[in-house]
Amino acid sequence: MAGATRPRTVGERVADADPSAGRLLLVAAGALFWGWLVVSWVNRWLGGPIAPVGEPFVAPDAVESAFAAVPGLAAVAADAAFVVELTPVLAQGTWLTVVITGVSLVCGFFIAVPLAVARVYGRFSAWLSLGYTELLRGTPLLAQLFVLYYGLNLAASVPAALSGVFPRDVVWVAILGFTLNGAAYQAEYIRGAVESVDEGQITAGRAIGLSKIESIYYVVLPQALRYAIPSWTNEFVYLIKYSSLAGFITVPELYYRANQVATDTFRYTAVFLILGAMYLALVLTASKFMERVDDRVAIPGLGANRDR
Amino acid sequence: MTDGDFLRVSDVSKWYGDEQVLDEVSFGMDRGDVTVLIGPSGSGKSTMLRCVNRLAEAQEGSITLDGEEVLSPDTDVDELRREVGMVFQSFNLFAHLSAVGNVALGPRRVLGLSEDEARERAADQLERVGLADQLDSYPAELSGGQQQRVGIARALAMEPKLMLFDEPTSALDPELIGEVLEVMRALVDEGMTMLVVTHEMSFARAVADEVVFLDDGRVVERGPPEQLFERPEKERTGRFLERIASHD
Repeated sequence: MAGATRPRTVGERVADADPSAGRLLLVAAGALFWGWLVVSWVNRWLGGPIAPVGEPFVAPDAVESAFAAVPGLAAVAADAAFVVELTPVLAQGTWLTVVITGVSLVCGFFIAVPLAVARVYGRFSAWLSLGYTELLRGTPLLAQLFVLYYGLNLAASVPAALSGVFPRDVVWVAILGFTLNGAAYQAEYIRGAVESVDEGQITAGRAIGLSKIESIYYVVLPQALRYAIPSWTNEFVYLIKYSSLAGFITVPELYYRANQVATDTFRYTAVFLILGAMYLALVLTASKFMERVDDRVAIPGLGANRDR
Repeated sequence: MTDGDFLRVSDVSKWYGDEQVLDEVSFGMDRGDVTVLIGPSGSGKSTMLRCVNRLAEAQEGSITLDGEEVLSPDTDVDELRREVGMVFQSFNLFAHLSAVGNVALGPRRVLGLSEDEARERAADQLERVGLADQLDSYPAELSGGQQQRVGIARALAMEPKLMLFDEPTSALDPELIGEVLEVMRALVDEGMTMLVVTHEMSFARAVADEVVFLDDGRVVERGPPEQLFERPEKERTGRFLERIASHD
């Protein structure tokens, strides 16, 4: 292609641009998004010192007239005002989405690690682990939630100590459902990573007098969990989106709230586009966060992800 | 010949399924002795070594270490391994730990030393193998020879009364073998009791008190190195030594 003057593609131009500019833009967008969420949540908990609870921080009318004053933006002035009007509902729903995802992920992790270890190193427990994993992965998540909510009516038996933490006790049922289900998926990712740790590692652990369990804990898991991070991030991302199923058992999380607004206003396209953008922002945050974690815990020579 | 009785291996046999890999192997060592196991690959040398710290289970025979039966079902295997250090052909360094972390793990978690004590002991052992300047390097940042020296330091940090070496130089580039053998020689000089599987015949000749030639899971011949290397009694021993020599 010597001397060719073919027009450069958009991708090339973006790639050539100062990479720190793109990064800066992403960080700024993230800070704006999370800043708005946190301020909204705090505002609600404190009873509305910044704006009355349920009201946007900026008056939708003001936004509409501001947009209308700019020639190019006049056409979308009404839409902009609608988005602003939605912000309190979105922030409120996102709170539950974040909590359900975060708590379920962490609780699921502590179930998943023993499941994965049992699967690789256990005998009888390997079968138990396999049975659990296949059952939970092989049946629809929504069906599992329905069994917990409608079938077992667990919302009625939330312990008094936990009751009232969330607007509705059913949130606990959702967390339980996602924990049990997510544990099965997480276990599969972690199992793969545990299997990829060289057998000589555990032998060396045994040879200095560590028991099998100690060798797994001190030698195998620190390596396996690092290997698992990139694929485990998938489960994190899935869970953010799957958490929308909690809406089907009446948990007022992000999807449930947005769906309510859409039904009330009939503005389905606008509402679900905004909803999509919200989930996208959450997912991007999660994957960027896990990238940071991955870099943070990296050890020279450990894991294929270090080869880049 | 008189057998030592610090480590005494008597009629040890082992099968993997139908295949017999050890056939009534016997030898003995005194405290401070160096015994070298030689033999073609698949002759059972490594398996024999692993039976001593029960990484492999012998089905018949007896192994006593310092008077205690190793093969008894009542033996605390973890306790046994605390007293028997092992160095592997493929190093098997803990990939997520620095050199000092590798060496400190046993003292910390098995011997129950404090974090600082364990680190200090690890640093001392690494200095002993000439790696005082690599304490914080990770295995992937070290050469093969350096990794194997960390492996030796890791075993030494448990203050073992017997050291097992399973082909410690076989995975190394030729120019890196010397530094590992040098460390091993220094251990011999300090009076460490060592059972070594190796193909380094010059090392065996120089430091071994006894050389045991294994073939097909049997002890074909054993004796002091000068006798076994210069005047082997069995024809198979001679053939094996010639084959090895032609590679050097």
